[in-house]
Order: sequence, then structure tokens, then C-alpha cells
Amino acid sequence: MKRLIQFATVLAILGMGVAGPAGAEDTEAVYKFYCAQCHGLTGKGDGPNVSKDFPVSPRNFTNAKEMDKLTDADMKNVILDGGPAASKSPMMPPWSKTLSEADVVGLIKHIRKLCACKGKQG
Amino acid sequence: MRLTLSIILGMAISVMATADGRADPAAGKKVFDDKKCTECHYTDGPAKEKTIADQLAKKGPELWYAGSKFQKKWLGKWLKDPKPIRAMAYNSMTEKNKGDHPKMSGGDAKAVTEFLMTLTSDAVKAGVIKPKKSAKGRLVFTKKMPCSGCHLFPAKKRAKFKGGLSGPSLVGARKRLNPDWIFAYLMTPEVFKPVKSMPVFVGFLKEKEMKNVAAYVANFK
Ligand code: HEC
Ligand code: HEC
Ligand code: HEC
Repeated sequence: MKRLIQFATVLAILGMGVAGPAGAEDTEAVYKFYCAQCHGLTGKGDGPNVSKDFPVSPRNFTNAKEMDKLTDADMKNVILDGGPAASKSPMMPPWSKTLSEADVVGLIKHIRKLCACKGKQG
Repeated sequence: MRLTLSIILGMAISVMATADGRADPAAGKKVFDDKKCTECHYTDGPAKEKTIADQLAKKGPELWYAGSKFQKKWLGKWLKDPKPIRAMAYNSMTEKNKGDHPKMSGGDAKAVTEFLMTLTSDAVKAGVIKPKKSAKGRLVFTKKMPCSGCHLFPAKKRAKFKGGLSGPSLVGARKRLNPDWIFAYLMTPEVFKPVKSMPVFVGFLKEKEMKNVAAYVANFK
């Protein structure tokens, strides 16, 4: 048993080293931890919160046509201050007191990867 | 000699205390350690989580402020007969909670409850929140903020409850949670859960709104 715990501890420490601070994996971790609850792990808008009584469907980030209508600045605004900041549903929470500026910039890049789209420019 | 005597005396007293049904916290701590509850729960505060990886490495919720968070009666009952609180498995976005939490015997549950109730936090001020059917609290919970998007709560209509699944269910919060803890958690989330997937609402809700929503949640059947 003791051996097992030691082994697990070593594994945990190694694991922490790999996760490390900043970097590409990190943005993905941020997305999965905060956004996937509603937008889904792969961004399809199908997270565990989205049942039949969820009032509005969370944005499907893989829909390039819809996502192309938003600029990066539009996204930033909604992520920081929540849906109502862009006359959208309050079911999209405000994150400015939770996430750092760097997190939000990283998330926008990650969402652009999910939609494989550049978004409206300017 | 004197030492052995006092040890024997001490042991006798602690045995008496348990035999008599008045389980003491120290005995509860021993049960907690012996039953390996420590494999999934830590009981020494303050909060240790600094990164998302720290939170994801945990196998169960932190219990270092259990005495401030839970109602004693609920805790004693739940340890004997644990029913799922979170719809999803801990830290999972895909797996459902299997409802396989270790069960304790009545005596052990009582002792562990005594122990856990001694674990309190100064950040919780007593007597601030009175549970009530607050219309203003309801407005915050269901309309102004996305609380209902992540938490199950009691519904009036056919269904017994509705809401999202990523947060702990708030159905039965009236029996489970200390109303003052709910308010303290909303106002100073960094004390209790520095890394969590619930957004920080400080700055988006005024103190009065936090009080209203805390009173509303604390009244959930
Ligand atoms: C509680 C559920 C929930 C969570 C958690 C959530 N969102 Fe949303 N999000 C929504 C909903 C619902 C909408 C759609 C709002 C509408 O169309 O009115 C949305 C819309 C969006 C939009 C599109 C806004 C627009 O103008 O169309 C972006 C960008 C977005 N979310 C980013 C994020 C990011 C990044 C995170 C994680 C930090 C996140 N969301 C977490 C529910 C959520
Ligand atoms: C394998 C990991 C594991 C072990 C061992 C374990 N627990 Fe838990 N515990 C959990 C998880 C996961 C939850 C959340 C359950 C839920 O939401 O339904 C939990 C929830 C709890 C809660 C409620 C906390 C909250 O915030 O909702 C208490 C109290 C508790 N456990 C006490 C104990 C005690 C006492 C023991 C020892 C008999 C124990 N646990 C053993 C994983 C564990
Ligand atoms: C994006 C999802 C999300 C939203 C929105 C949200 N929560 Fe939470 N909430 C969570 C999660 C996840 C936890 C558990 C955090 C942890 O233990 O790591 C939680 C924990 C809680 C708890 C403690 C429950 C317990 O048993 O530990 C309360 C009370 C609570 N939330 C109330 C609220 C209120 C009130 C609102 C709206 C102002 C709200 N939540 C909005 C996800 C959310």
C-alpha cells in the first residue's frame, strides 16, 4: 500500500510537471475546465449542462459560418462581461473576475481553432 | 509510572465517552484516518489548490471547512447513507456520478460528524442569512445570472427539479448547507475554492444581491 502511494505521488508530481504553467496545453485545460460545461469538450455546444430545459443553446464553436460573424473583439467582450453585454442570453456567464487577460486571449485563439475560421475582421 | 497511569486514565475516559454515545472529535478523526477518507478528502486548511491541475488531481471535495459549510444533522445522515450530490462524477464533464461513495456505520458516522463539525472557517460570519422565498433572489438565480444553467434546483411544475448538471445539486440545500456559508462562499470564493469552474460573481452582483440569492438558495427544498 505504502509503495503504491509513493508511486502515485511520483506520478502526480510528474503529471504536474507536464501540465506546467502557460503554453498551448494550458489554454486547452482552461477551455475544458470553464467553457466545456456548456459549450462541450469539442465546442459543439453540447456540454453536460445542456439538457432540454436549457433556455438557449450555447454557441456551437465548430460552426464556421456563425462564428465568422463575430470579431475577436466581440468574443472578448462577451467572455469578459457575459451574454447581456452583447444583448445575448445571461446564460453565458461573465468571466472577467475569474480569468486573466492571457487566459481570455488564449481562449479566443482556441475557439478560432475549433471553428477553423478567422472571424469578421476589424 | 505517573505517565502510564494518566495514559490509562485518558484511554478509559475516551472509551467511556464513545461507549456513552457521545462520540468525541478525536475519535472521529481516528475513524476518518483509519477508513482512508484522507485518500480523497483533505481536512487541513487553508485551501491548497493553486492551478487547474491541482483541482483536477483531487478525488473528492475539500472538507477543511466542513463545520462551517454543512448542517450537522444532514452530515450525520449522509455519511450513513450517501446519495449523489453532484450529477456528474467528480471533476468529470462526461461521466455520471455512480453513487458509489463509501458508507459508514451509524457509530462511525456519528464520530466523524463530530470531528468534521469542528473544522470551521473564520470567513463565515454567523447569523447573517435567513433562508427565505426571496423574489429578488429568484430573479438573480434564474434570470439575471446563469446560476440555474449549472445547478439543479427544485421546480414547481411536473418535474421535481431542473437546471444544469456541472455544479453540485442545490436541491435540498435547506437541509444540507449553512445559509451563512453560502453567502460567505459567494462573497469570498477565493477562501474556499480558489480554483473552480464556477465564475466569480463579486463585482457583478452587489452585496445585497448576494444576500438575496444566498437566502433564496438556502431555502431550496
Ligand atoms: C453556463 C453555460 C455557459 C458557460 C459555462 C460558458 N458559456 Fe459561452 N455561451 C453560453 C450561451 C447560452 C451562449 C449563447 C448566448 C446567446 O446566443 O444568447 C454562449 C455564447 C458564447 C459566445 C458567443 C457570443 C456571441 O456573441 O454570439 C462565446 C464567444 C462564448 N460563449 C465563449 C465562452 C467561453 C470562452 C467560455 C469559457 C470561459 C464560455 N463561453 C462558457 C453559455 C455558456
Ligand atoms: C474514492 C474517493 C473517496 C473516498 C475514499 C471518500 N470520499 Fe467522500 N467524497 C468523494 C466524492 C467524489 C464526493 C462527492 C460526492 C457527490 O457529489 O455525490 C464526496 C463527498 C463527501 C462529502 C460531502 C462533501 C461535499 O462537499 O459535498 C463528505 C462529508 C464526505 N465525502 C466524507 C467522506 C468520509 C467521511 C469518507 C471516509 C469514509 C469519505 N468521504 C471517503 C470521494 C471520496
Ligand atoms: C458555469 C457553471 C456555474 C454557474 C454559472 C454557477 N455555478 Fe455555482 N458552482 C458551480 C460548480 C462547478 C461548483 C462546485 C465548485 C467546486 O466545488 O469546485 C459550484 C458551487 C456552488 C455552491 C456550493 C455548493 C456545494 O455544495 O459545494 C453554491 C451555493 C453555488 N455554486 C451557488 C451558485 C449561485 C448562487 C450562482 C449564480 C449567482 C452559481 N452558483 C452559478 C458551477 C456554477
